[in-house]
Amino acid sequence: MSGVAVPVAVPHPRPAALRWLRRYGLAALGGAIILAWVLAAALAPWILSYGPNTVDVANRLKPPSAMHWLGTDALGRDVLARVVYGARISLAVGMAVVLVGGLFGTLLGAVAAYARGWAEEALMRVTDLVFCFPPIILAMAIAAALGIGTVNTVIAMLVVWWPKFARLARSLVLTQRSLEYVEAAQSVGFGPAHILVRQIIPNAVGPLIVLVTLDLGQAILVFAGLSFLGLGVVPPTAEWGAMVAEGRELVQQWWVATFPGLAILSVVMGFNFVGDGIRDWLDPHARTR
Amino acid sequence: MADQDEPGFGRRPLMAGAAGMLTSLLAGARPADAQSSARRGALVIGLDISDALSLDPVRVYQYSNPLPTRAAYDGLVTYDAGDNITVKPALATEWSYLPDGKTIRFKLRPGVKFASGATVTAEDVRFSFARHLAIKDQPFQYISHVESVAVVDATTVDLVLKDPTLPVISIIATPAFGIQEKSQVVANGGTDAADAKDKDKATEWLNNNSAGAGPYRLTGWQRNQQIQMVRNPHYWRGAPGYERVLIRHMSESAAQLLAIQRGDIDVAFNLIPEQIATLENDPNISIMGTPSLDFIYMAVAEAPSNPALQNKLARQAIGHAIDFDGIIKNLAGGAAVRPTSFLPVGTNGSTEALTKEIGFNEDLPKARRLLAEAGLPNGFKFQLAYGNAAIAGVTYQNLAQKIQADLARVGIVAELAPMDQVNLRTMFLGGKAEAVLTFWNPPAPENWLWTSATVNRVARRVVWDVPADMHKLVADAGAERDLAKAAVLYREYQKRMVDFAHHIVLVQPVYQVAVRKSVGGLNLTAAGWMADLAAAKPA
Amino acid sequence: MIRYVISRLATAVVMVLLATLVIFLIANTVPGDPAMAALGDMQASDPVQVREFRARWGLDLPLWEQYWLFLKRLAQGDLGISISSRRPVLADIIDYAPATLELATIAFLLSLAVGLPLGVVAAVKRDSWVDHLARFVALIGVSAPTFWLAFIMLAIFYGQLDWAPGPGRLDPIAFPPDRITGLLLIDTALAGDWETFRDAAAHLVLPSIVLAASTLGLITRTTRAAMLEALNQDYVRVARAKGLLARVVVTGHAVPNAMLPVVTLGGLAYANLLTGAVMTETVFGWPGLGRYTFRSAVTVDFPAIMAITAIVAAIFVLVNLLVDLSYALLDPRVARA
Repeated sequence: MSGVAVPVAVPHPRPAALRWLRRYGLAALGGAIILAWVLAAALAPWILSYGPNTVDVANRLKPPSAMHWLGTDALGRDVLARVVYGARISLAVGMAVVLVGGLFGTLLGAVAAYARGWAEEALMRVTDLVFCFPPIILAMAIAAALGIGTVNTVIAMLVVWWPKFARLARSLVLTQRSLEYVEAAQSVGFGPAHILVRQIIPNAVGPLIVLVTLDLGQAILVFAGLSFLGLGVVPPTAEWGAMVAEGRELVQQWWVATFPGLAILSVVMGFNFVGDGIRDWLDPHARTR
Repeated sequence: MADQDEPGFGRRPLMAGAAGMLTSLLAGARPADAQSSARRGALVIGLDISDALSLDPVRVYQYSNPLPTRAAYDGLVTYDAGDNITVKPALATEWSYLPDGKTIRFKLRPGVKFASGATVTAEDVRFSFARHLAIKDQPFQYISHVESVAVVDATTVDLVLKDPTLPVISIIATPAFGIQEKSQVVANGGTDAADAKDKDKATEWLNNNSAGAGPYRLTGWQRNQQIQMVRNPHYWRGAPGYERVLIRHMSESAAQLLAIQRGDIDVAFNLIPEQIATLENDPNISIMGTPSLDFIYMAVAEAPSNPALQNKLARQAIGHAIDFDGIIKNLAGGAAVRPTSFLPVGTNGSTEALTKEIGFNEDLPKARRLLAEAGLPNGFKFQLAYGNAAIAGVTYQNLAQKIQADLARVGIVAELAPMDQVNLRTMFLGGKAEAVLTFWNPPAPENWLWTSATVNRVARRVVWDVPADMHKLVADAGAERDLAKAAVLYREYQKRMVDFAHHIVLVQPVYQVAVRKSVGGLNLTAAGWMADLAAAKPA
Repeated sequence: MIRYVISRLATAVVMVLLATLVIFLIANTVPGDPAMAALGDMQASDPVQVREFRARWGLDLPLWEQYWLFLKRLAQGDLGISISSRRPVLADIIDYAPATLELATIAFLLSLAVGLPLGVVAAVKRDSWVDHLARFVALIGVSAPTFWLAFIMLAIFYGQLDWAPGPGRLDPIAFPPDRITGLLLIDTALAGDWETFRDAAAHLVLPSIVLAASTLGLITRTTRAAMLEALNQDYVRVARAKGLLARVVVTGHAVPNAMLPVVTLGGLAYANLLTGAVMTETVFGWPGLGRYTFRSAVTVDFPAIMAITAIVAAIFVLVNLLVDLSYALLDPRVARA
């Protein structure tokens, strides 16, 4: 945090670089964190000396050492290897949920807002309905009905995920369509589809990108939570939430639960930093100040 | 629930600094003196009691509730701690089969009083069993071969069996068959009439009160919080050592560990091996080990969905490819033994030596040979299902992953299928599972309860068409009243079970219980109720 | 206004019923049979007993009839009997709800008490160290997984430093006060049992901090953003230009206008706290509704699942309604619209 606080002490004629750093430093840091995780996940087999599922019960619950940098878990597996491989699942699930849910929700919301009338009304009531579900019950019911597994958990998450995009997209489209250039396009004689795709969506994309970025972190968090409750991945797949659950009882062997938790924290923070950065950048007030 | 003693709370010195407020709030609420609970004449037990559905004896069949049930109710007979083979007298001083071969006559101990002060009579005994027979909850199933119960005189009672070859004395040592005081149960809605299944309303009252002749009397149960008991001043073995017993619900083993270290609780039942290791040097705490009669096993079914598993040799290969020693030494922290088959070590005819001799033992070349003979030289795949639970600190999840890694060495692929309890039981009990990691704990230390289960209901779960001679072996062994002769039959039973390879027993835990040294005389038992609280007293 | 409230209430009832219907249908596709989990080992192996059990619990009725029965009972205020605890669901919920209510309320107040001022100051002193601190705290709050935070807090403040009490609502040897509200702070205060009051309060500290973390982050962020927005409005600039004191401008003009989005978010966050405390409750051994919900779902306890769905859905719908109404109070323009 000192890196954030230091610039305050600097006398007022601030160099441009420093100002940029103050405004976008965290976003850059977030981007770097995510890039690092993506690289680590992609290169995992080449940068690690252990596999994520190599069981060695004779060396179980060993504290961090030169051999195992982050120690070993209850089955003697290398925690570092599992944390790094865990990034693959978390990033993939985050992407899948947000992209699929976001695309579906956005399209539905945009179309509904454009069509108005009963379609819009119906959509809004459905989103209301989804919002008033206890998410845990829904996720558990779906896991129990379909069986525990990554894909089924993603399905459960998608069910509750799309409505917020639908709502955002709807309100964006509603705002946009009352704007002058849309009216202008209508008067020139462009069809509704053309206006929606060529005029409205590109202009509404900024807020959506912010939501998507922030949501990636959120999706990773929720997935880890479901995994923690035993509804996520099937063992022996390395996944952060499940790893924290495995280490929950091991207060003395703190490394088992601590490191996967830090991994979640760092990734989610990374996405939040980036999302905030984009928002600041898009926000006209923030730019003019 | 009045607490007469002055609570021994002290205050910690306040800490200065930014955290001072928080710290003082937190510290002030904590008992400073670790001995405070003992001083207050209470025995405080930390135990996960979330499974308990009822404390009404006729409905006690879960894992944790036999402990308070045994403390509140004495039965006709019992087992002494450490001996799970010979039945000992309790409320009955003697018993014998009458010449008709199917009636067992019990002589009651004279002058024994219930906690209420009333004398235990033959009618109370009759009522207790008759209520079981009428209500037909799970414990009834263990004695469904009892025809009727009859009072002979005030201190004599007869138990009449439908099938006299089946054992019963060893079974009624179970806490569920503790003797209830008829007048109290009836006064609170209880009945032993034929329609008791619908008409008996005493359970609600018996969940919060007891009507027994055990060392303590139940005075309240806040679900998922605690069970309270007070001393029974009339206890026939002499006044119990504590004024009160509190069983605190603590589902997290980490919480139990810290609570016993600090003296908040006197006994911690649910510690995991890693936590036990940290307590070994604690001067205030002793670790008591008691070999249980429970075990975790892998059921391997002749599943219609998996031709490989229908082959006996393939199932045997699984049994010889598992690193049992690694599981016991490392996952169970060494606190476990391993029986040959479905009879735990410590019962008649089952020893660890026998396992080395005729049981499954890790032997990879043999496993590969068996696979080759089965026509599966490259191994095969099967689905291994398990629930989200842990036994003595060994989680099914870790066990499943360990087995998966072990079997991979000979080319057998175990696909893990974690499940919730409902789906798991529905699949397993319906004979739809390929393989399941599960647990067996006995209602009573009677061999026949294990063996008859394996050839009947458990056999259906593993889709096993049990041959007639196997049924006969189990029946003969159960009917044999000479322990030595029975042991020979049980050896043969285990040998056959290993050959069929439907049940691979993995871990029979030696339960490790942490007890503060301020507590003396606490006898742990494997017979189904964890501990005899009667003899416990401040050390 | 009254007509608006009535029509919203009617929609709310329909919503709640629809939610229960959807959960009912999903739960019924679960292949598992609740009878198998509820019965003992021997009983579950006996087809006669299983049939009897299913009949007793109405599990053998056609689906529509089961749902109809649920509706009929619900109309009479009867939530049915839980399959797994064999007690009335209402009794279970009355047992478990106060623990959650107490924790969620404390956590919510905590996040408001810290989040609102932090957000306001951060916006007023934009780009100062307070702002950076606020943004950092908010980010940690929304980024840290609750279950992990709970583990870390317990490990440090209970396990290592021994400052905080362990899991649960009271110390193992403390006696719960006689139940009046089920809220330990209130019950102990009513009984004048200050020793137990302190104990209960101490047990609330860690879980409420953990539970408040993410809400705190959200509230700080929203307040900051809304304040920035408000400070940029013309009337605030006018007020400033007229030479009003900064404090008057902020508290008199900007804050009230910034409260709208905060109220919305706050309402929903409170509803979330009430219903989403599963993980905090799990790690802290808190006997609350979250744990009850989890257990009901794991055991496919239909009556309990349906009751909880109905209650949770009702909470959300009501909170939404209250939020909208308070909007109307805070901003007369909405009421007229």
